[in-house]
This record gives sequence, C-alpha cells and structure tokens, in this order.
Amino acid sequence: MTEFDLVLDARGLNCPLPILRARQSIQKLNAGQVLHIVATDPGSVKDFEAFCKQTGNELLATNQQAGEYSFDIRKN
Amino acid sequence: MARSRGRRPRRATPLARFAGPGMSKRLRASERRATILAVAKVLFSDKGYHGVSVDEIARRLGVSPAILYRHFASKEALYEEVLNAIACKRESYVEAVVNSDGSFADVLRKITRIYIESVSKDPDYLRMELQSALEGSDATRQFFENRWRPFTDFIEFSLQEVTVEKGLPGVNGRVAAMAFQGMIREALYAKCIYRSPRYRELSLQELAEQLVTLFLNAVGYLEPAS
Repeated sequence: MTEFDLVLDARGLNCPLPILRARQSIQKLNAGQVLHIVATDPGSVKDFEAFCKQTGNELLATNQQAGEYSFDIRKN
Repeated sequence: MARSRGRRPRRATPLARFAGPGMSKRLRASERRATILAVAKVLFSDKGYHGVSVDEIARRLGVSPAILYRHFASKEALYEEVLNAIACKRESYVEAVVNSDGSFADVLRKITRIYIESVSKDPDYLRMELQSALEGSDATRQFFENRWRPFTDFIEFSLQEVTVEKGLPGVNGRVAAMAFQGMIREALYAKCIYRSPRYRELSLQELAEQLVTLFLNAVGYLEPAS
C-alpha cells in the first residue's frame, strides 16, 4: 500500500465536488507528497484519471472495495 | 427563419444512409452503432421512452431487433447511451474545475457554460427531458436527475460551506439548487425549444451568465473582484 501524506474523504460527494476538494488538498502538499482520496461516486474513477492527465499529477493507485473507491495521487 | 410552434417537421434522419432494404453488412460496427443511436434519438425525442419500442427502432433501421440487441443490451441501455452521446462528458467538468480559481462562483459559471453548450447543440436532449417529465417514469426521471446532480449537489454542499465561512444568512442549499435548475432549464427551453422572441437580444450564453449572476446575488454570495 502506498504511503500518503494527506487524506481526503470525498465519500457521499458527486462530481465536481471530489475533484474540487482534491485540487484544494493538493495545493497544500509539496511536490512528491501523496494525497489519498476515498470516494463513493463510481464516476470518480474516470474523473481522477482525467484530473491527473490534465494537472500532470501522478495517479499512483486506484482501488475499489465494498462500494468505495480510493486513489493515491502524487503531486508533481 | 420562420418556424412553426407546433410539432416540429419530420427531419431527415441518418436513415437516408440506408438506401437498401437493410443495413449494409459492410457498415462498420461503430458506424452501425452511431446510426442506431441517431435513429433512436429522433424517435425517443418525438415519442418518449415508453412511446417507442425496440421493434419500431429496428423497423426504422430496416434490421431485426436481434441486430439492435447485439449492440445494446436493452432499450434502457440504448436510451442511456443516446443521452450520454449528447450530454457533455465528465472530463469537461473536470477541466472546468482544474481551470477555475476554485471559488464556488467560478466553478458554477464554468460548468454551467459547458452544460449549456453541449445541450444547446442538440435540443433533442431537451425534448427527451420534457417527454420524460410527461411520462412520469422513474427510470428516465433518474437519468435526467443524475445529469443535474453536478449542479444540484455542488450548489447544496457549497452553499452550506460558504454560509459558514462567510457568515452569510442561512440559505437552504437544496431549495437554492432547485431555483438554479429551474432557471437554467427554462433558459434552455426558451432559447432552444420555444425560440421565444422575448429573449432575442440575448444569446443563450449571455442569458445564462446573467441568470448565474442573479442567482449568486440572490443567495448572498459576493463574487471576488476579477
């Protein structure tokens, strides 16, 4: 499991809120640090792929378990 | 262009591409799929979800229902795919957030612009929404409700936060979200369906921009000076 520096609980939120929160959280990190996000919106998988593509941050891992999705994003 | 307010004239559909008795076998799967979607869209927007059967769509295409089921598992899947093909992509909303200043007002303006642009390109989407309202079907209502959620959820959650942060007088976020949805939907109907001369002076985007400003003022949100 990836180690992370900050956790964002985006459970119960729908697009575009998880992305907006992730953007705000990443701004608090230094380059190389990792944000761990937990979400429940199935669309968040595509959203975070697009988010990383557009922002240049690195999507290290995506996991799905019991209706929850988690993402580890390294700030570039 | 003069336009009748009654039932819209029957449009030329991609059916014209099927000059023969049925779909050409040489038609590629992606083209075939696109043609099915185009024909289904016209039928759904004219008659609603329940007013159209898979048999009728197949008949219009000149193919058997089995061919349709090869591409779409069910009528419901086909209906959803028709909506997905028209509505803006989620990636566009992600892009709007990434390119925003992160404020409630800026994100709201940007996602509204994207939604309006995508829907106004194809008013069949709005006709399907109207048909869905008339039909009272839970399934189709759910499809459209989900498409408004980026606005309704965003407004409801954000206003709760903004109210606390800025010490604004309490605004019921859910009711505010309903007001917003009603405004934008009416603007789309006025410009794309009714083509009301009353708003001729304003483009759809200008109308929407002004409505968003009215909304932000109404909920007591002060926009940061640009």
